[in-house]
Amino acid sequence: MGTFVQLFVDGLSTGSIYAALALALVLVNQSTGMVNFAQGGMAVLSAYIAWWLTTLGVPLIVAILISVAASFVMGALIERYLMRRFERGDPDTAIVVTIGLLTLITGLCGWLWTYNNKQFASLFSLDTVPFLGASISLRSIGTFAVILVMMLLLQALFLGTKLGLALRAVAINPQSAAFSGLPVGRLLMIGWGLAAVLGAVAGALVAPQLTLTPGMMDNALVYALAAVILGGLSSPFGVVIAAWLIGVLENLAAVYVPFIGYDLKVAVPFILIFVVLVVRPQGLFGRKSVVRV
Amino acid sequence: MSVTSFMRTPWVRWVAVAVVVVLLAVMPLVLPEFANQTIARIGVFAVAVLGLNVLMGYTGQVSLGQIFFVGLGAYVTAYGVTHEWNILITFLLSFLIPAIVGLIIALAAARLGGLAIAMITLALPIVGVPLAKRLGEITGGSQGLSARFSGAPEWAQAVPVYDDQWQLYVVLLITAIVFLLTRNLVRGRYGRAFAIVKGNESVASSMGISPYWYKVIAFTVASLIGGVAGFLYMVVIQYTSPETMSFGHSITLLASMVIGGAASIVGSLIGGAYYVLVPQLTNIVDPNSTALLQGAILLIVLFVLPGGIVSLPRVIHRLLSRGRGGAGRAQQTTPIAEPNPAAASEGTTTERQDQA
Repeated sequence: MGTFVQLFVDGLSTGSIYAALALALVLVNQSTGMVNFAQGGMAVLSAYIAWWLTTLGVPLIVAILISVAASFVMGALIERYLMRRFERGDPDTAIVVTIGLLTLITGLCGWLWTYNNKQFASLFSLDTVPFLGASISLRSIGTFAVILVMMLLLQALFLGTKLGLALRAVAINPQSAAFSGLPVGRLLMIGWGLAAVLGAVAGALVAPQLTLTPGMMDNALVYALAAVILGGLSSPFGVVIAAWLIGVLENLAAVYVPFIGYDLKVAVPFILIFVVLVVRPQGLFGRKSVVRV
Repeated sequence: MSVTSFMRTPWVRWVAVAVVVVLLAVMPLVLPEFANQTIARIGVFAVAVLGLNVLMGYTGQVSLGQIFFVGLGAYVTAYGVTHEWNILITFLLSFLIPAIVGLIIALAAARLGGLAIAMITLALPIVGVPLAKRLGEITGGSQGLSARFSGAPEWAQAVPVYDDQWQLYVVLLITAIVFLLTRNLVRGRYGRAFAIVKGNESVASSMGISPYWYKVIAFTVASLIGGVAGFLYMVVIQYTSPETMSFGHSITLLASMVIGGAASIVGSLIGGAYYVLVPQLTNIVDPNSTALLQGAILLIVLFVLPGGIVSLPRVIHRLLSRGRGGAGRAQQTTPIAEPNPAAASEGTTTERQDQA
């Protein structure tokens, strides 16, 4: 029982990291219709910026906040000067552009800071508290809480503010949004900036666990993409649930299914996807859309 | 008579083909060993890029998993050779097994829209590497498998033909056959169906062309060609490990295809050359900056030459003829083989992603 609870809670904690990246993917997809494979790379760059600031003597929390702000600017600039040219064009080309961006950013991190692992201090203490026979680290609880707060803030932004309304309008129909006087270009920049912020938070949360390397987020990105497929691209709520589900299931499978073990647990979300897709091709929470010729 | 129409005269084409064949037959004998090995590697990855091109360039389905099928073909070859199977049977299995695996994956993946296929194929190298390590009894685990089977046979050694020359002949022959068959495939009935599926899936289905089945077919063919590339990989490199199918290699393969030229036979050859030569060059510049430079090259090509390097002559030609006021000259003569990426139907964007 203790092990089970332990695995479950740890799964929620790692699932939360996937959820942050998955939310960022949904945010970009909902405003521009593309899938940003560079999201993980951008998160790594943000984490490197935070780490670099701490080596200069900046306190950790301040360093993370600065890197979050810098990520917003970075995301907005990438949208304005790189992605805008490929938005609304061929989606395959846009995907390849984000893959080029991923290679470029990973290469940039490796070039600036080498490919060696860097120690990244944790925001939360590693102390543990007992809970139902398991010991749960404060870091797990902290990670989970941060993601929960971010999800609620995002929800509040979209449903409760004018900016959120405008962002949704651009997402649903950019042309009509433009006709009603919304600054579509600026809103797209904000959407990308917000997505980069989500990635930056995920980066800062995951870096202490994995130690900082240029390829740190590659696996997390795979899980986030799996969560996006499972949850359905159109449902922020769905992808968070899917990310938690994946986090918990892979943790349980790693221990309780001997063949899978720790090295093959990355296959779990994809087995899940295969099973789900056979039943519901639009994902667990996605809507089926009717296509007109 | 312009240069292009001269090139299209039947006897000129046959003479050109004959010259190329003779050149290819003589080349391995006169070039140094290092050059032969490099050309053989280019052949290997040109085949891998060609497979990706069938799926991505011609059918418009982004795949990040092509390297998985190359690795699978290499493993099948290595396993067959180390268990002393007949080499022809090993060769057949080296592409039939990847094709079957590709078919099974495609049956599930093609239910998704274009974006989701990209996301699901990403899983192949990510899962493939730990899987290859786990199945150590078959794959040799992290150590990998080496198989030396591609040395020159005794009758050829008497000529004399050395190992590197023999390997290059094997690669040239198989590469030529694969390229010829693929060219026929994409210029024929299937190629036209692929192009319609790529252009607009809704139009395709309203014409009675099932996007689902043509995506499955394209994926299977791509996996099959990937398997052949895996066999050739073992012919030339004679060693495979989980690293062969890593995520980074998969991305480089995709970048090579785009940089060479999507939906182009010649572009696949250029892509193979890019895959082999450019890392060698960037390594000379600064080994730490290889990924940085490759990412930058990919983005620059996408910005400046969306059709890839293969479109360079056409772009220059268009610029020149625009200068002379002959705007009509740059028309494409083979729209199916070389669709203009810029013309890739604006209106389909939202329709396709909604199917995810």
